Amino acid sequence: MERVSALERVIRTVLILLVLVFFLFPIFWILLMSFQSNDQILRIPPSIVFEPTIANYATLLTGKLQTTAGNLDVAFLKNLGNSMLLSTGSVILSLILGVPAAYAFARFKFRLGENIAFTLLSFRFAPPLLVLLPLSLYFKQLGLTDSYFGLIWIYQLICLPLILWIVRGYFEDVSPDIEHAYRVAGHSWWTTFRKIAIPLAMPGIAAAGLLAFIFAWNNFVFALILASADKQPVTVGALAFVTASGIQYGQIAAAIVLSVMPTLLLALYAQRYLVQGLSLGAVKG
Amino acid sequence: MSLASVSETGSIPIRKRRFARRALPYLLSLPALLVCIGILVPFVTAAYYSLMRFRLNLPALKGFIWFDNYINFLSDSAFWNTVSISLVYAFVTVAVELVLGLGIALLLVKPSRLNNLASILLLLPLMTAPALAALMWKLMTNPNFGILSYLVGLIGFTDFRWASDPRTALLTVTLVDVWVYTPFIMILLLAGLRSLPKQPFEAAALDGVPRSFVFFRITLPMLMPYIITASLFRLLDSIQQFDIVYSLTQGGPGDKLMVFQVQAYLEFFQYTNVGRSAALMMVLWAITYFLSNIFIKQWLKLRERARGVS
Amino acid sequence: MSGLVLSHIAKGFKSGKVLEDVSLNVNAGEIVAIVGPSGTGKTVLLRIIAGLQEPDGGTVSIDGVDMTEASPESRGIGMAFQNFALFPHFSAFDNIASPLTARRMPAGALKEKVDAVARLLKIDHVLGHAPRELSNGQKQRTALARALVAQPKVLLLDDPLRNVDAKLRYEMRLELPRLLRSYNAAVIYVTQDYKEAMALGDRIAVLRGGRIEQWATPHDVYAAPASVEVAKLFGDPTINLLPSKVEQGEFRLLGRNVPASGASGAIVAGLRPEHLTVSRTETAGGIPCELDAVMPVNVRSVLYLRGPAGEEILATVGENEAAKFGRDHRQVWIDFAPENVLLFDAATGARIGHQAH
Repeated sequence: MERVSALERVIRTVLILLVLVFFLFPIFWILLMSFQSNDQILRIPPSIVFEPTIANYATLLTGKLQTTAGNLDVAFLKNLGNSMLLSTGSVILSLILGVPAAYAFARFKFRLGENIAFTLLSFRFAPPLLVLLPLSLYFKQLGLTDSYFGLIWIYQLICLPLILWIVRGYFEDVSPDIEHAYRVAGHSWWTTFRKIAIPLAMPGIAAAGLLAFIFAWNNFVFALILASADKQPVTVGALAFVTASGIQYGQIAAAIVLSVMPTLLLALYAQRYLVQGLSLGAVKG
Repeated sequence: MSLASVSETGSIPIRKRRFARRALPYLLSLPALLVCIGILVPFVTAAYYSLMRFRLNLPALKGFIWFDNYINFLSDSAFWNTVSISLVYAFVTVAVELVLGLGIALLLVKPSRLNNLASILLLLPLMTAPALAALMWKLMTNPNFGILSYLVGLIGFTDFRWASDPRTALLTVTLVDVWVYTPFIMILLLAGLRSLPKQPFEAAALDGVPRSFVFFRITLPMLMPYIITASLFRLLDSIQQFDIVYSLTQGGPGDKLMVFQVQAYLEFFQYTNVGRSAALMMVLWAITYFLSNIFIKQWLKLRERARGVS
Repeated sequence: MSGLVLSHIAKGFKSGKVLEDVSLNVNAGEIVAIVGPSGTGKTVLLRIIAGLQEPDGGTVSIDGVDMTEASPESRGIGMAFQNFALFPHFSAFDNIASPLTARRMPAGALKEKVDAVARLLKIDHVLGHAPRELSNGQKQRTALARALVAQPKVLLLDDPLRNVDAKLRYEMRLELPRLLRSYNAAVIYVTQDYKEAMALGDRIAVLRGGRIEQWATPHDVYAAPASVEVAKLFGDPTINLLPSKVEQGEFRLLGRNVPASGASGAIVAGLRPEHLTVSRTETAGGIPCELDAVMPVNVRSVLYLRGPAGEEILATVGENEAAKFGRDHRQVWIDFAPENVLLFDAATGARIGHQAH
């Protein structure tokens, strides 16, 4: 039992609130900006009270713009679609490739497995450009520059290590005897994998998938280097939007909000698993 | 009780089974192996190019110069600028994030409604794409309408140029980095704090040990594995920072923020100097390889501990 | 040849050899109990029989068919695990039904069989529950039901009563033999508890050091143990072991000369506590001992004695007898019949005069 004085409790609460203000303010502010017209934004001093407008969002989503740079708006919606496609495709592929491999690493102790697991882990920390710059040349040679296919494969560098190391831990937590019991009962290895191993590891698979989606969505440098103009996701697209549309601050804010919302919502939904996922399975949440 | 005998479960030739069983782990990890190879090929290519004079706009001059790229770095002030900026950036951001993250974790360690809510909300900056976070801060620090410019104007800094000013560029970019990544350290340390055994603390409370002593002599040493792992993790990422710097200033103003990967990017795409950018990346890779070996050992130790407890 | 035959099974790991040369056979309708201290490879042996691990050498045959290379699912074996190994995301019904779904039994026949075996094991009222809602006893019965439902030719039971409370364990010890015999399968029952082995096994295999140290009926294992270790393992309280030396066909035991047939040199003499008679009054030929303590154990009492040379000796007497002995140091006299003395070679531990089958 700790005797915590009332004063201390007050100080703690104040500190926590200050911390929350610091970390949540930018998101809050940009959200506000996205509902403001340019005049309201440029007004000094800035104020929280104003007449909100959804014109910015309307512009982005419908692709219609009264002033210049009409093409860019359509492009932004396309960027959102690209992000969706690339992230979903990468996660699905990495699950298909990674879950069986994670099972192999968890259940069988074989030399090649440890080597693969470590290579993938160590490349998670290697500079991306080391690999991306030569890849950009290869992409040109192989004609992969204007394809989702090539990008989804390269995104495996982000997603696969995550899937492997998180799901491996969940498979390790399933008692092998349970699988043995199912085998002895008369089921093949494949049936056992499908009906026993995967369902029991499902929380981990879901968590890894969600986290892989978030990381794929948030990725910038892969797409910057390897994605052609019409395949760019929102991270790259937003930057281009800023430099091109210059003065349309409200729309920039709206674009940022739309780009950031999906991952923030997913994070809130999956927050239970994030500690484990972020530490690549080293720490249980 | 008379019982009928069991029906057979399909007769698959017995010999084939053994082979299939042996090959299974390799078959399952084949795709992962292919991805590994897929990484190694460009890696070897990069190493190869780093030993060459290779400019995309001067293909005729392409040729082997062995380690000249690396040797030239030693006398190149731009290279040393990159090294020092990257190291300063990495260490400053990690140090600030560590102190801040530990402080916040200590504030939130007791489970309560406010604390749990706070831990969840503090995830949000971490889940924001760093490139987009940089854009957010760019808007907030805009000299004309940015809320932060306005606020610092109120306390006397009327012409604060944030990222455009060589004097404050590093500060600005550090601020963004701290905003995005402090929650990472906080989450890890919070999990670590919560997993510490209760007995030493209960004993200290019974003995009336002062709180500062408890913190420095009990909490901190027990938390050390988490602190080391989290710091190395962040250090490894920070020294390779690209997204935030590029989105904010593309390395400027001048070369004030020219960290490794940004420099390599510009070498490749602006100066089309493949050889030099490859060499630069190999140098960075050597640094991170060395650090990551230390990190992986620590990380594995933590993992074993987590597996053992559960 | 029906039933299960193991021939020269060997298995080693990086940490050392676990099984050296294990051979045994189990006939249909027979229960063979494998006893041994923990870590001696009993579970490894079961895994090899089930096909979950490959032996380094030796063969496993079921009903004359060599199954050494066969995959686990094609061996037609029923197995119950020590920690139950129930599928947590299946109901009890689905758990039990799993061997039948593997054999693609139609739903109607499947339900009949599951209900029948559940009724037999008295868990028919909890079939709809998930494993985490079941008590330990119910979990164990579900695991057993799952092993039995497909009427397998070979049944492997890995210490199924270990994680079950003492009262239930005692009840099951009475129920199991009846239950198992009705299935006419070849049963291997692995346990660390020698009493369980003696209660359930038609034959007992004592596994030590990777080998079968003795392979005999419960009676023979008790009355004619193959070695000191087997003698120590079977018997509660533990057999009294007193070192001695054979000289000129005789050896001294508790101050008495006992003829030794076929033995020579250093020996260890074993005397089971129940083979000692204890008397409060001096008897002819009785050996004086000091009574250190009396410990009542159910219907017997264990007397802790100190022999003439200071040796620790245990003797058991019926509770009526025990009441006559007070709780303080008393001088008592013990006696034994020479034919109850077991002789073991001091160096090898093997029983002198033992005939292995």
